[in-house]
Amino acid sequence: MTSAKEIKKRIKSISNTKKITKAMEMVAAAKMRRSVEAVLRTRTYANLGWATILNISESKDADKISHPLLEKRKEVKKALIVLIASNRGLCGGFNSAIINKALASVKKHKIPTDFIIIGKRGISIASRFGQNIISEFEKNDSSLIMTDVVAPAKMIINDFLEKKYDKVLMAYTDFISPAKQVPRMRQILPVDIANEDEYLGVVGKSEILKTSKDYIKEKEEKYLSGGFSFMYEPDADEVLDKILPRMIEVQLFQALLESNASEHSARMAAMNKATSAASDLVDELTLYYNKARQAAITAEIAEISAGVAGMKA
Amino acid sequence: MAKKTIKFEVVTPEKVVLKKQVLQVTVPTEDGEITVLPEHIPLMSILKPGVIEMKLEEGELEVMSVSGGFIEVMRDKIIILADTAERADELDEARIEEARARAEARKKELENVDEVQFANIAVQLEKEMARLKALTRWRRLKK
Repeated sequence: MTSAKEIKKRIKSISNTKKITKAMEMVAAAKMRRSVEAVLRTRTYANLGWATILNISESKDADKISHPLLEKRKEVKKALIVLIASNRGLCGGFNSAIINKALASVKKHKIPTDFIIIGKRGISIASRFGQNIISEFEKNDSSLIMTDVVAPAKMIINDFLEKKYDKVLMAYTDFISPAKQVPRMRQILPVDIANEDEYLGVVGKSEILKTSKDYIKEKEEKYLSGGFSFMYEPDADEVLDKILPRMIEVQLFQALLESNASEHSARMAAMNKATSAASDLVDELTLYYNKARQAAITAEIAEISAGVAGMKA
Repeated sequence: MAKKTIKFEVVTPEKVVLKKQVLQVTVPTEDGEITVLPEHIPLMSILKPGVIEMKLEEGELEVMSVSGGFIEVMRDKIIILADTAERADELDEARIEEARARAEARKKELENVDEVQFANIAVQLEKEMARLKALTRWRRLKK
C-alpha cells in the first residue's frame, strides 16, 4: 500500500494542475466571448455577399457572363483544400475533427489534392497524414483583421486562374453555439450553387438567418422573380472583377472567424472537463489518504497496546 | 395614392447600419451618381467613396457616408455591401476634420516613400472626405 506521504504528494500535484486548467478555462472563456462577438458582427455581411455572388452565378444570363472565377471546369484534375486549424493544442478534438473531415473527403473523391493550412497546430498534425501541403499560414490568435486573409486569398485565386487547381475547397469549423461546433467543407471556387454534399450551407448557417440553399432559392423567388438578369455598371467584367475576389476574401475571413470562435469554445470545454476530472481525482485520493492515515494510526495503537499487554504479563 | 417604397439595407463587415423602407436612394457609383427608385431593374454596381442620400417614407431625407463597396438592386430590395458606412447624424465634425488633416499630413510626408502605404493613406483621406461631405449635406438639410 502506498504511504500517506506519497498520496499527499500526488494530491498536491493534481491540485496544481487543476489550478492551471482552471486558469486556461477562464482565458479561453474571455477569448471566446470576444471571438463570438466578432463572428456575429460579420455574419450578415458575409452571408448577404455570398448570396449575391450565388445569385450572379445562377442568373438567367449566367452563360453570357464569363468570368474566370465563375467558370465550372468539366474535369476536375486537381483540388485544393484550405484547412483552418488552431495555433495551439489542448482544445479537445478540435483539430483532429476538421482534419479527419478533410481527409474523408479526399478519400471519397479520389482526386489528387493539395493542402493550404492555416494555424500552427494543424501543420504538425496534417503532415503526419502524408498529404501534400503547399503552404502554411500563421494566424493571429485573438484579434483577427481582414488583412490576415489577403495573402491566402490571393494565392488561391491566382492558383485557380492559372489552372493549377480546378476546385478550391475550404475546411473550417462552424460555430453554432459554445457547446456545439461542426466541422464543414465548402467549395469556394468556382462559385457554384448546385453542388453536391459538400455544399452544406453558407458560412455560419444559422436558424435565425436561415442562410442555406433554401434561403438563396427563396431570395431568388422573392426578389428576383424567375428569369431575371442583372444589369451591370460600368460593365459585367469590371463589377465581377471587383466583387468576386472581395467576397472570396470575406468568405475566407468569415471561415477564419468561425474557426476561431469554435476553437476557443472547444478549448474552454476541454479545460472545463480537465478541471472537473482533476477535482474528482483529488476527492478520490483524499479518501485514500485518510484511509492510509487511519490505518497507520490503528497500526500504531495496536503496537502500543500489544507492548503494554506484553509488559503486564 | 400611397407612394411605392422599396426595402433598403446597408451592411458593413461590422454591422447592419441601416434597414428601412425608402422611396428613393441616391448612391455614388464609379460612373457617377445614380438614383434608384422602386421597380428598378436588377442592377449591380461598384460604389466609390461618397454620400448616400435616401428619401424615407414620409419624404424625409437622410444622409450617409460610404467608403466604397457594392450595390445590388433587386425587385423589391436594395442591398449595399459597404466597406464602411456611417449615418450623418452619428458623425462628429471635429473628429473627422482631425482625421482628415492627419491623413493629409501623412500623405505629404510619404509621397515618395512607399506605394502601398501611400495608397492606403489616399483611401483613408477619401473616406474622411466622404464623411465630411455627408455631414455638410446633412447640415444643409436640417436648416
